[in-house]
Amino acid sequence: MKLKKIPTGYLFIAPFIIGFLVFGIYPVLNTIGLSFTNTTLMSKTSEFIGLDNFKRLFADAVFIKAVGNTWLIWSLNFIPQIGFALLLSVMFTNARLNIKAKGIWRAVFYLPNLMMPAAVTALFGAIFSYYGPANQLLVRAGFLSEALRFFDSVAFARGMVVFINWWTWFGQTMIIVMAGMTSIPLPLYEAAMVDGASAWQMFTKITLPLLKPILVFIFVTALTGGMQMFDIPYLLTDGRGAPESSIQTSVLLMFLKFNSSKGHIGAASSVGVLIFIMTTVCALGIFYFLRDKEMDDAKPAKKSFFKKNTEESQS
Amino acid sequence: MKRSYIVLSVLVALSMLLAACGAPATEAPAATESPAVEAPAATEAPAATEAPAELEGTLKIWSFTNDTWVIATAFKELHPKVNIEFTMIPMNGGEFQTKVRAAAGTADAPDVVALEAAFVREWVEADGLLADQSDLLPLSQELKSYQAGVDVGTYEGVTKAYTFESTPGAFFYRRSIAKECLGTDDPTQVQAMVSDMTKFVEIAEKIKNCGTKDYYMVGTAGELSSPFFTTREQPWVVDGALVIDPKVVEYVHFAKMMRDNGYESGAGQWSEGWFAGMNDTLKDANGTPKKVFSYFLPTWGLPYVLINNAKAKDGSSDTSGDWAMVKGPMSYQWGGTWIGALEGSKQAALAKEFVKFSCLDEEFLTKLAQGYYTNAKLKEIDPTVPDSLVFNPGDFVSSQVVVEKIIPSFDGSSAAQFLGGQNPYGAFAEMAPNVSGRLIQGTDDAIQRALGDPLGAYLAGTMTEAEMWAAFLTAVGNENPDLVLPEPPVK
Repeated sequence: MKLKKIPTGYLFIAPFIIGFLVFGIYPVLNTIGLSFTNTTLMSKTSEFIGLDNFKRLFADAVFIKAVGNTWLIWSLNFIPQIGFALLLSVMFTNARLNIKAKGIWRAVFYLPNLMMPAAVTALFGAIFSYYGPANQLLVRAGFLSEALRFFDSVAFARGMVVFINWWTWFGQTMIIVMAGMTSIPLPLYEAAMVDGASAWQMFTKITLPLLKPILVFIFVTALTGGMQMFDIPYLLTDGRGAPESSIQTSVLLMFLKFNSSKGHIGAASSVGVLIFIMTTVCALGIFYFLRDKEMDDAKPAKKSFFKKNTEESQS
Repeated sequence: MKRSYIVLSVLVALSMLLAACGAPATEAPAATESPAVEAPAATEAPAATEAPAELEGTLKIWSFTNDTWVIATAFKELHPKVNIEFTMIPMNGGEFQTKVRAAAGTADAPDVVALEAAFVREWVEADGLLADQSDLLPLSQELKSYQAGVDVGTYEGVTKAYTFESTPGAFFYRRSIAKECLGTDDPTQVQAMVSDMTKFVEIAEKIKNCGTKDYYMVGTAGELSSPFFTTREQPWVVDGALVIDPKVVEYVHFAKMMRDNGYESGAGQWSEGWFAGMNDTLKDANGTPKKVFSYFLPTWGLPYVLINNAKAKDGSSDTSGDWAMVKGPMSYQWGGTWIGALEGSKQAALAKEFVKFSCLDEEFLTKLAQGYYTNAKLKEIDPTVPDSLVFNPGDFVSSQVVVEKIIPSFDGSSAAQFLGGQNPYGAFAEMAPNVSGRLIQGTDDAIQRALGDPLGAYLAGTMTEAEMWAAFLTAVGNENPDLVLPEPPVK
């Protein structure tokens, strides 16, 4: 039968493909191209300088520190975030606990996510400013003898970024984890209960394995988001990662290079390229380590079966 | 930190504009205070219409401030056949600069751009971005444009941008505290007491130990960064190498001394506490009221920052009338807006005419300073302008000729009443000629911002001075890869 080729399908996918090529692929390729040049916004000409931008990044330690900051802040935020999300989800989906007004709790936990990070950051910045309410409260209650400059402390500034990130995102993560948990068939738990499994055993042997695809999704999206952390550290202090560059994330560093007087977009692009490579490698790593091992085990078998077949056919 | 100051100052300015439009009643007296404006305008109008050929065409103007919109509307009054396409782009996070840089050289490029003090110099220094406007220099000399403004717009002998305002900085102080602690509130005598940094520190000590000992000399020592940097011997960059002038080292030591001795309130510039000091609502963590004796602010700081914040939001206190202004220990300048035309504009002649009109037109600058462009007037010229668009009287314009002519018209103005009868225009007029723009370079902003974080850590005591300089040099090098870095002053 001769298939009639109808081009309408291409028309339907065209908007996405065009948008993706123009706004997705082109900027990435352009950034990679720029990262090998010394382009600035203020000069008309630019030269190809090979790997100089990258060499510089690794030489002056600022980049290494920014990457370190990013990872530190991200992991300190992500571990409690996923922990809280799992705990709350188990509590909400647990039939024995049967928590009342689940919808309200869920809404309350999700609420911080609806607020703009900029607004939340400005709010926390004001609360903990030198003349802010936090100092007033702590001094008048006798916890402090005099007002503290909170944002002079590296640990406090980092902790604040971690907290704001955690506070705005654990609700969102919880919703996704709960969706994953409610899709696990109930009979599995019933059977486990009949067999006398404890809550912990059910969690580790049923919930976690079946939740893996969801966890991989959360892990990867949180990682990409975390590696691009910018607005909260940017707005919390001086926009440069003060105090002592302790909350200067990789993207903030990229922005500083871009926003310098001449607009060194070549140098900024090299930071972008390295963030891109780092995120991609880590995401692939997550996929690899959290892959479904059973299916993976099945693969070689399939291959050998296929091989056997071909061998047979050859013979 | 400087960047966030600018963002905030824009926010403050915008909120001021919004506040101003919400209270038209308060503007009315200001407008009636300068009836002299209408008269010369009316008589000089025929002269303006005699202009040789009537201009026409479309002029694309991009700006980060509404001031340029007012100027554009005023330009339209004179040249009704000119079609003006005004685009407003916020300056926050470098958005304005990025958009203009990206558009430059393309068909979408604007003809005229407004440039802020923080980045104007980078544009003037860049090759082939702004058109040469040197032929307007004789006119600038005729109007005695303040040299600092011209210096900023000139690079290697070519003048590419002009400004309609001059932004000398002053030292604003509280008359009541001066009387109590220094025995006088007379500007001449107070100026003599703070005329150099040694005397300034002595007065700071006096203020600190005065009365109930709840007074601070300044909100934050950071306010003095502009004065210190303006009085350097050498610019930041000489022959492609960074220079840490002795004045910079002096500033760092000064800031540390101010912090350690408790001469500053400790509220960061543009923070709640810093503003609270302006209206006596500042309370320390124990609830004890604290007062701030002085603020370092430039021309625009008087209406947009000080007057705007002198009344507490809840109306509990009002310091209006209790202020005075003097030159202070150092002459300095802070901020400002420059106007330039892009190279390669198809409307080059028209753009030049606009630059000439906005910055070098005696009649226009007079009108602008005296509050001729009320919202009603602007609406009359162009009914589509928003209700918030207005140019309040009192902006300190760039021409010494105009300034000297109109000083008397500000006697008894609302700003003068705020300063206890002192004419701010007259006071700024004495300061403006002393300011130099010769040190200003394109990289200033990025370099000065890089000092903020290490300096903060040094003041907090979490970094030694040697560590601070090392961190500063690293940060400068990170954003200015082409700069040769010197040895730190302290190792």
